[in-house]
Amino acid sequence: MIELYEQLKQRYALGEISVQRFDLVFITVPRENLASLLLYLRDTEGFTHLVLLTAVDWIEDNKFQLTYLINNRESATDLGLRVIIDRDEASMESIHDLWPTAATYQRELKEMFGIDFPGSPRIDEDFILEGWTEIPPYRRDFDTLEYSRDTYLERPGRSTSDPAQHMKQLFYPEDKD
Amino acid sequence: MSIRNILSPFTAWKYLFRDPVTIPDPLNDRPGSPRYRGFHKNDMKKCIGCGTCEAICQNGAIDMVAVEGIDASKEDSGLRPNIDYGRCCWCALCVDVCMTGSLTMSNEYKWVESNPDAFRFTPGVDKKHWDNAALGYHRPDGYQLTGRVREQMPELEPAKRIESFDEIVQGYDVEQAKLEADRCVACGLCIATCPAHMAVPDYIAAVRDGDYERGLKILYDTNPFSQICGRVCTHRCETVCAARHEGDPIAIRWLKRHITEQVPRDRYRAIIGDPAPPTGKSVAIIGAGPAGMTAAYDLARKGHAVTVYEALPHAGGMTRYGIPEYRLPYETIQHEMDLILSMGVTIHYDTRIGSDITMQQLEQDFDAVILAIGLQMGRSTRIPGSEHAGVKKAVDLLRRITEGEHIDAPKSMVVIGGGNVAMDIARSMARLQKQQHGSIDVTLTALEDLNHFLADPDEIKESLEEGVNILDSRGPQQCQVDAEGNLTGLKTWKVLSIFDQQGRFAPSFDETDEQIHPAEMVVEAIGQMSDVNLLGEELTERLEWNRGRIQIDTNGRTSESWLWAAGDCVTGPDVVSAVAAGHQVAKSIDAVINPVEALTHA
Amino acid sequence: MAYTPDRSQYPQKKADGSLDIDLTSGKYLKLWQGPQHPGITGNMSIELTVCGDEVAEGRTHVGYLHRGFEKLMERRTFIQNFPIVCRICVPEPDFNEYCYAAAVEELAGIEVPERADWIRALILEMGRINSYLMYLGGQAGALGQAVIGQWSTYVRDLMLDRFEELTGARIYHMFIMPGGVRDNLPTGFRTRMEHTLGEIENALRDIHNVMFRNAVFEKRTRGIGVIEKEWLDSYGVTGPCIRAAGVPRDVRKDQPYLVYDQLDFDPVIGKDSDIYTRADVRRRDLLLSVDLIRQILSRMPQDDGPTMATTPNVLHWKIEPGETYVRGECSRGEYGYYLVTDGSGYPRRVNVRGPSYTHAMALFERMVVNCNIADVAALLVSLHTYPPEIER
Repeated sequence: MIELYEQLKQRYALGEISVQRFDLVFITVPRENLASLLLYLRDTEGFTHLVLLTAVDWIEDNKFQLTYLINNRESATDLGLRVIIDRDEASMESIHDLWPTAATYQRELKEMFGIDFPGSPRIDEDFILEGWTEIPPYRRDFDTLEYSRDTYLERPGRSTSDPAQHMKQLFYPEDKD
Repeated sequence: MSIRNILSPFTAWKYLFRDPVTIPDPLNDRPGSPRYRGFHKNDMKKCIGCGTCEAICQNGAIDMVAVEGIDASKEDSGLRPNIDYGRCCWCALCVDVCMTGSLTMSNEYKWVESNPDAFRFTPGVDKKHWDNAALGYHRPDGYQLTGRVREQMPELEPAKRIESFDEIVQGYDVEQAKLEADRCVACGLCIATCPAHMAVPDYIAAVRDGDYERGLKILYDTNPFSQICGRVCTHRCETVCAARHEGDPIAIRWLKRHITEQVPRDRYRAIIGDPAPPTGKSVAIIGAGPAGMTAAYDLARKGHAVTVYEALPHAGGMTRYGIPEYRLPYETIQHEMDLILSMGVTIHYDTRIGSDITMQQLEQDFDAVILAIGLQMGRSTRIPGSEHAGVKKAVDLLRRITEGEHIDAPKSMVVIGGGNVAMDIARSMARLQKQQHGSIDVTLTALEDLNHFLADPDEIKESLEEGVNILDSRGPQQCQVDAEGNLTGLKTWKVLSIFDQQGRFAPSFDETDEQIHPAEMVVEAIGQMSDVNLLGEELTERLEWNRGRIQIDTNGRTSESWLWAAGDCVTGPDVVSAVAAGHQVAKSIDAVINPVEALTHA
Repeated sequence: MAYTPDRSQYPQKKADGSLDIDLTSGKYLKLWQGPQHPGITGNMSIELTVCGDEVAEGRTHVGYLHRGFEKLMERRTFIQNFPIVCRICVPEPDFNEYCYAAAVEELAGIEVPERADWIRALILEMGRINSYLMYLGGQAGALGQAVIGQWSTYVRDLMLDRFEELTGARIYHMFIMPGGVRDNLPTGFRTRMEHTLGEIENALRDIHNVMFRNAVFEKRTRGIGVIEKEWLDSYGVTGPCIRAAGVPRDVRKDQPYLVYDQLDFDPVIGKDSDIYTRADVRRRDLLLSVDLIRQILSRMPQDDGPTMATTPNVLHWKIEPGETYVRGECSRGEYGYYLVTDGSGYPRRVNVRGPSYTHAMALFERMVVNCNIADVAALLVSLHTYPPEIER
């Protein structure tokens, strides 16, 4: 895997590499290199299987990480390509022409993270959510608990006590500060 | 297409002649398996209401509720888990994490009700038909989700520590402290038991996070003696720790010490912050021990002008003059005291009230006065020969050692008493013997049997390790003096019982079991009392008394409206209780002398 | 000589390659199959555009049981996630437990006792058998053979009994925890398991005779629903679907996890890549699992010992920043968890990769074109999809 990295480095600008296991490596790549890199890896290096395509929200840095995980079935190794994109008006080139199935992943990312993939088939079609009006729900700033409190009724009649507070009420209530 | 593939499906007809495989009466004939995660059971005798089950429940199905008939105690919040079966998923994490093993599951899985609210119930309290089910999920042996074993505290070896007064306990390193802090489940049961009600789970969380400055701030919010308590506190919190039920209690005291050791000393003052602006009120405090100095700290931080009068040359009270340096180094006390004084507290050393200044003077000059004089006088056994010059009081000896006075260690000696002070003097003298004679000969006799000693188990263990000869159930009868008037030893009898049937102190002895313990010195360490002579006759008359101690109300105020009393002299010996009492009187005084301020705070 | 039209010319396409379907022409009809339909696997629906009884276009619709697990997991601690992951796939929940636990263990650097690895493999194979048994009933049912489902449900129930005595629950086992497994095998488990395996083999013999050696079944499944070789990579095909196409891909063999490198087996493959072959590959894979369970039970440590590693206090367990992907071979193909941690007590991101994600969406939509309406159910079932792992 390290040889592959060194070899790729001759041809492409690559970022940081993290070796997670002997058969799993993550490499950060600039977004403009992704498509050609994937094509090369698929057709020349045998990484023919797109395992998954997903995103991670690094809201603190105002970035999204896209992870393209590809698998070489012959050598049983996995390569994760990380692409860091801006969180504002997030958008990325589509790879549905490399793997038709990527269109599904991209549709989901559009819906759940609000990351656009212009040109990807049916990209604006609802995938899972219908009539969703809030911010894309898999973004970190979407608060599921708050949403559920606003949307659903709490079952009435429940209350709980904190043991320490409860004991304070019983044993030393005068020590109020 | 072969003929076989046309005929083969007809083999299904053989099922016509088979018995059905269904269970005829599944509601009754199909009990859950022995490990089945069915309905919850809770053993009321074991549950301590720590709420760890609630904390781990990812469904939010558990509430901790007060239950009629279950009273809270120091080690039991009295709350019990109430489970909402509309939310429960029977994952049994609550069973796995339960600190006492009280929560289990039955193998019952059928429960029919028409009222949906009935499915919210308190196992063990609301009687259910599966309460006595023998089968069902229990946490398997040897399986744990929280740490059970306490991090070992690094200590000097006995052979090494007996040679000097160097501190024995070395303190956790960061790694160890994190591991120990990790074991805490943050239930907070310990807070009520701590006399100062320190926010234990919060400062342990600070250790886990490695945020020692936050930890120090939390410590000094409730305890200006944190460095001292981190070493010598009686740590009653650890006796109610939820972790003790199925493992070692969290080393709360050592974690407190760890925080104080991790923050550089020059950072303390900035972290704790400046006191409030001056209020123009003034308070005098007699005695610079834990109670007096805690009150001084609190009052000074509220902006009152505090003056402390101390009869001895250093502050710290019994923590300095009673506790040997191998348990609590003097420079630690000094740092703690300097910190309190830096809040704007004035202190007069070597100043005795009664002789140097009178109580009447203080009454006139200050808005309030606190009496925090501690227990400075050793009690005597009053046995024959106890008036001999070779018979000493432990507190006097300890004070002289602290003051740096040279003490001629006797070649052999006997200590009378089974408390911490007895251990302190035995171990201090053993060190002096080792230094002066190269060998140790200290015998310690106590009325109690070894299992009922008042001293901490650690103290007993360490004394034995250091070569102190401990004899339990021995009643002192006479200090033996030879014809030349030299002290030669102590005569004891075997103790049969200490208290009579009414529970009064009245030891009975087996006179036939008599022993003479040869000794050049006998030390009495059977308790202390207050020296109240400083009050003067007139004030002593005016004050109300209770069994030889000054009568105080719940706020520490005496029958005189300007005088408060706190600490060992009214509540008995314990550092952290004295700290708590110091807070109490400070609060009470603040409310009285500065009522507007106190009101806006409330 | 019968007339055989060139189906690849149909439906007609526009110049840009998209389908030329004019619903107002009266030539086409919209037909919904699902979400309530016996020919649908679980809660999903397919929107078919048909011309006569031939499908011109198919669209998969999911979202009927979206619970947002991946998001829910971001606000639960590492231990609190353990009871919810199983819900992502009802018929074969254990892969969620295993993949999640393994990913957490890998990032937290926890060494699991060997005994736990054996028990995990045992559970995964038991779950595979259950999943296949459900599939067989469904595949036969989609073609009108209700009796197969009754037989397979009976033996599946016996396996659920084994699950119940081993794990304490029948469906959501919640037994594979980060750190190991909850307990050892109960006493007498091996004997009872052997009896269950025998019953399963008997049932499979009957199923083979009635379902597979059946002219009707063969007629309805041979040569139908073929996955072309060139689709295998384009559509991320894994599991029995790819093996039925003659490609011996099996994660258990390719990237052995748990104890699979200590077991003797070869991936089951077929060659025709049609519905029949996929069904047959699954039937033989089921028998392989029966064999693997026997191997596991005889080779695993026979004594009882610790099955859980020491973890940090789970109430405030934090994991250093990192990311990993852990996969396993479930009954439907490659199941995997992509886990990202950020040093806090909660996962930063969890992504569940279920084989149905590609099979039921893009692949199915590709395959259903030119399919006969009556074959749609059989085709969909033959991909062995579970909707909850698509939408999670």
